[in-house]
Amino acid sequence: MFAGARPGTEADAVLGAVPSWVYAPRSLDEARQFVESTGREGLALGFVGGGTALGLGAPLSRFDALLRTTGLARVIEYTPADMIVTVEAGTTLGALSETLRRQGQWLALDPPAPERATAGGVIAANSFGPRRARFGSVRDLLIGISVIRADGALARGGGKVVKNVAGFDIPKLMCGSLGTLALIATATFRLHPLPEMQRSVIVPSCNAGQLRQLLARVRLGQLEPTSVVAFSTGSARCEVALRFEGFAAGVNQQVARFSELQQAAGEKCEQPDDGEAQAWWARQDDARLRGELRIKVAALPSQIEAIQPRLDAVREQLGEARFVWYVSLGLGFLSGNPMDPNAVSRALAEARSALEKTGGTLVLEAASPTIRRSIGEWGANPDAFPIMQRMKERFDPQRRLNPGRFVGGI
Amino acid sequence: MRGAFVPVSPGVIAELAGVVGAKNCISDLAGLRTYECDGLTSFQMTPGAVILPESTEQVVEAVRIARRANLPIVPRGAGTGLSGGALPVPGCVVIGLSRMRRILEVDLENGWMRVQPGVINLDISKQLSPAGYYYAPDPSSQSVCTIGGNVAENSGGAHCLKYGFTTNHVLGARIVLADGTVVDLGGPVLDTPGYDLIGVFVGSEGTLGIVTEVVVRILRKPEATRTFFATYPSTDEAGKTVSEIIAAGIVPAAVEMMDRLAIVAIKAATGVDWPDVGAALLMDVDGPLAEVEHTASRATAIASACGALDIRRPRDDAERLLMWKGRKSAFAAVGRISPNYIVQDGVIPRSEIAKVLRQISQLAAAAGLRVANVFHAGDGNLHPLILYDRNVPGQEEKAEHLGGEILKICIQAGGSITGEHGVGADKAAYMGEMFSDADLQAMGQLRCAFDAENRFNPSKVFPTPRLCGDRPGQYAPTRFEASDEAGRG
Repeated sequence: MFAGARPGTEADAVLGAVPSWVYAPRSLDEARQFVESTGREGLALGFVGGGTALGLGAPLSRFDALLRTTGLARVIEYTPADMIVTVEAGTTLGALSETLRRQGQWLALDPPAPERATAGGVIAANSFGPRRARFGSVRDLLIGISVIRADGALARGGGKVVKNVAGFDIPKLMCGSLGTLALIATATFRLHPLPEMQRSVIVPSCNAGQLRQLLARVRLGQLEPTSVVAFSTGSARCEVALRFEGFAAGVNQQVARFSELQQAAGEKCEQPDDGEAQAWWARQDDARLRGELRIKVAALPSQIEAIQPRLDAVREQLGEARFVWYVSLGLGFLSGNPMDPNAVSRALAEARSALEKTGGTLVLEAASPTIRRSIGEWGANPDAFPIMQRMKERFDPQRRLNPGRFVGGI
Repeated sequence: MRGAFVPVSPGVIAELAGVVGAKNCISDLAGLRTYECDGLTSFQMTPGAVILPESTEQVVEAVRIARRANLPIVPRGAGTGLSGGALPVPGCVVIGLSRMRRILEVDLENGWMRVQPGVINLDISKQLSPAGYYYAPDPSSQSVCTIGGNVAENSGGAHCLKYGFTTNHVLGARIVLADGTVVDLGGPVLDTPGYDLIGVFVGSEGTLGIVTEVVVRILRKPEATRTFFATYPSTDEAGKTVSEIIAAGIVPAAVEMMDRLAIVAIKAATGVDWPDVGAALLMDVDGPLAEVEHTASRATAIASACGALDIRRPRDDAERLLMWKGRKSAFAAVGRISPNYIVQDGVIPRSEIAKVLRQISQLAAAAGLRVANVFHAGDGNLHPLILYDRNVPGQEEKAEHLGGEILKICIQAGGSITGEHGVGADKAAYMGEMFSDADLQAMGQLRCAFDAENRFNPSKVFPTPRLCGDRPGQYAPTRFEASDEAGRG
C-alpha cells in the first residue's frame, strides 16, 4: 500500500464499512499522488473531512481506502480588499472564521458544527444553516475550485474573482456531489462583511397556517431577515425565530416593524436578550446533529400545512423528536430516536411519497441499516438521472470514488 | 467578410417547415442573413436554416430532424450577445426561441415563476411590479434580451454586485438534449437530490442543450433605493472610493465607473447633463429605509473624503432612471464618437483596478488607439471599449490585438477573460491562456455527459472540439468541424 497509509479501524468506518487503508495527506501533492497511485490498482476511495455528514448517502459498494482531508488545512490566499479567500479543502469553517473575523469579514455559511465542518465537506455535502435564507448556499458563495480527478490530475474551474463566466461551472458541479466525481482540493469563496449588529425576535407559538401568514407579513413589511426558523419538539406547534443583521439603524427598524406587524395581526413577538437568542440558535443547530434518525425534507414553503400531518406521523414514532424548518426556504430537518423501525419506515415512506407527489423530497441523513434498506436513502431518481450517470462515467470511469454512495447508486 | 454559405437540403427544410410551419422556417438567403451574427457583428456566418418554434414539442422534433441529417444546431435568443455565442456555424440550423414568450406560472408566495425562454428579461419585472416583486439580474440589454439567452450566458448586470448573477436566480429549467429527450433540471423546490445540473447548465453558452422553460426566482422589491452620482478628477480617486466603501462593510446594489471618454460618449448619445470630468461613479444602495439612509450617507461621505468634485442625488425617480439610462446605453453611445469599436469584457480583482487601468492606457497610447472605460467597479468587471476606424488600414487589427493584450493583463492580475459576455466564438482561443489542459479536459467531460455528439453550438467556448471518443458510433464530426470556415469580419 501507499507509503504513509495505515490499516483502517472501526473509527474510520463510513456508513458501517471499514476501509482497508487510511491515508491523511499533508499536502495537495501527496493527495494527488495517492489518488493517482490507487487509480493504477483500481482501488475504491472514500473521502472524509470533518465527518459532519457521514450519514448522508448509501453505504459504499466498495471501500478500499479512506482519504482524510484534515491535514490539508492551509489558507492559501486571503485578500481582504477583494473579499475572497482560497483555502485547502480540510480547513474548518471555525478556523477560517477566526482568520476572517480579524478583518471584519466572514464566509456566510453557517452549518451546524463549524468547528468540525470543512470547506471541502461543506461543498461535497451541500451543508448549510439558517442564514442560507439571505446569503444563499455554498453554490452561491463558491467562486473557484480545484479538484483532483480520478486519474490524479489537478483540474480547476472558476477563478478568484466573483464575476466570471469563462468555461463551464465546475464549482457548481462539485456542490453536493459527495466526492463521487473528484476529490476537492482547494476552494475559493466570496466573503461578506461582518454585520455591525444582530438581533433576533421570537414568536412563541405558531401552527403551520400561522407560519404562512408570518412569512406574508415579512414580505409585506419588505423585511430582510437573514434567518427565519421554526423549531418544535413534541407537538405540531412551533417556536419561530427571525434574525436581522446589518447596520444598527436598519436592524432596529426591522425589529420594530416586525413587532408592529405581529401586534396588528394579534400575534405575539418577544425580543430575547443576546444570551437567550444565542441559546435559541444553538438549540436548532444541535437538533440537526442529534438523533439516530435524521431526515431532510424539501418542499415549497407554502406546502408546510399540507405536509405537516405526514411529518407528525413520523414524529409520533420517535423519541426525543425535534423538527427544524427553514420557513422561507422550504427546507426542514426532523430528528429523533425510532421506537419501532418498521413503523418509522412506513411513516417515512408515506411522507416521502406525499412530498414527491408535489415536487418535494425526503432524504435520509442518518438512519439504521433497517430503515435504509426499507426505504432507501434518496427517494425517486431525479428526472435528469441519466445525465448524472453519464457525468459519473466521464469523471470516474472506474467507478472508484465513493462508489454507490450517491443518488441512484452512483 | 463572410464564410461561405452552406445550404441545408430542401428535403430537410421541408421537414422542418412541417414541424414549425412555413412561416416559422426561414431558408431564403435574404431571410437567413438576418441571423448571420449576434451583438458581436465582426463575426458573420449565414446559417443553413432558421426555425422559430413555439413549443417544447416543436424544438424536440426539430432537434431530431437536424440530428438525422447530422447538422449542427445553434440556439439563439434575441441575438444581443456580445461574444458570438449565437453566431451560426456553416450549414447549421439556428433554433430561435424568440416566439416562445409566454409566462406560464407565477407563485408570489413561494417566490418563483415559470417562463418560456423568449420572454424579455425586463418584461418579467414589469409583470411583477404592481405586486411589488422583481427579477434581479439586469444586463444592460434587459429591455430586449431574453431569459433563455440570459440562461445560456449566465448574464450579469450592474446590480449583480449585491444580488448575484443569472445562476443565482434560476432554480430550474426544462431542456431538450441532442437526442431529443426532454429533461427537467432543478425546479422551484430547493435541493433536488443529485448533481447541481441547473448550476452547470446556466452559463453553458448553448453547448449542452436547448432551454424551453425556465423557473426563475423572484424577489420582493427592497423598501428603499438611494442613488448618487459622483464626479472625480481621475479614475484613481473613483477607484479609491469604491475600495473604501466596500472596506466600510457596505455592499452597494451597484457601483459603476465611467472614465472621461465614456462620459463624453454618453453625453453625446443621451443628452445627460454630466460635467466633463476624469471619472464618474454611479452607485445604488438599497434595502430597508433606515439602513439605506445610513449606508447612503456613509458612502457619500467616503466619496467626498476620497476627492469627489461633486456629488449629485437624483431629485426623483425619473432623474434616477435617466442616470441609469446614461450608464446602460454606454456601449451604443460610443458609436457616436467612433465609427467602430470593440467591447471587451475582462475581470480583475477589485484591488488591482487602478494599476490595470494605467496599463490599459499605456497599451492604448502605444497602439495609437483610444479606449473608453465603462465598468462594474464593485466586482472588478472591466468593459474597455476600443475605438477604431475600419477604413483606416491596419486599425482593426491593432484594435483586436489590443483587446487580446487587455485580456492577458486580466489573466495576469488573477482575473478572468469574461465576466458576463461569455466566451462564445470571440474568446475560445483565450481559454487556453486561462485554463490548463487538465481544466479543459474536465469541462470536456462535462460536455460529453450532456452532448456527446457535439451537436449544440460546436466550436464555441473551447479552443478545439473535445471528442467523446469512447462511445463508439455516437460521435460524428459535423461538416463544420471538417471545414473550419467560420467567417471573421
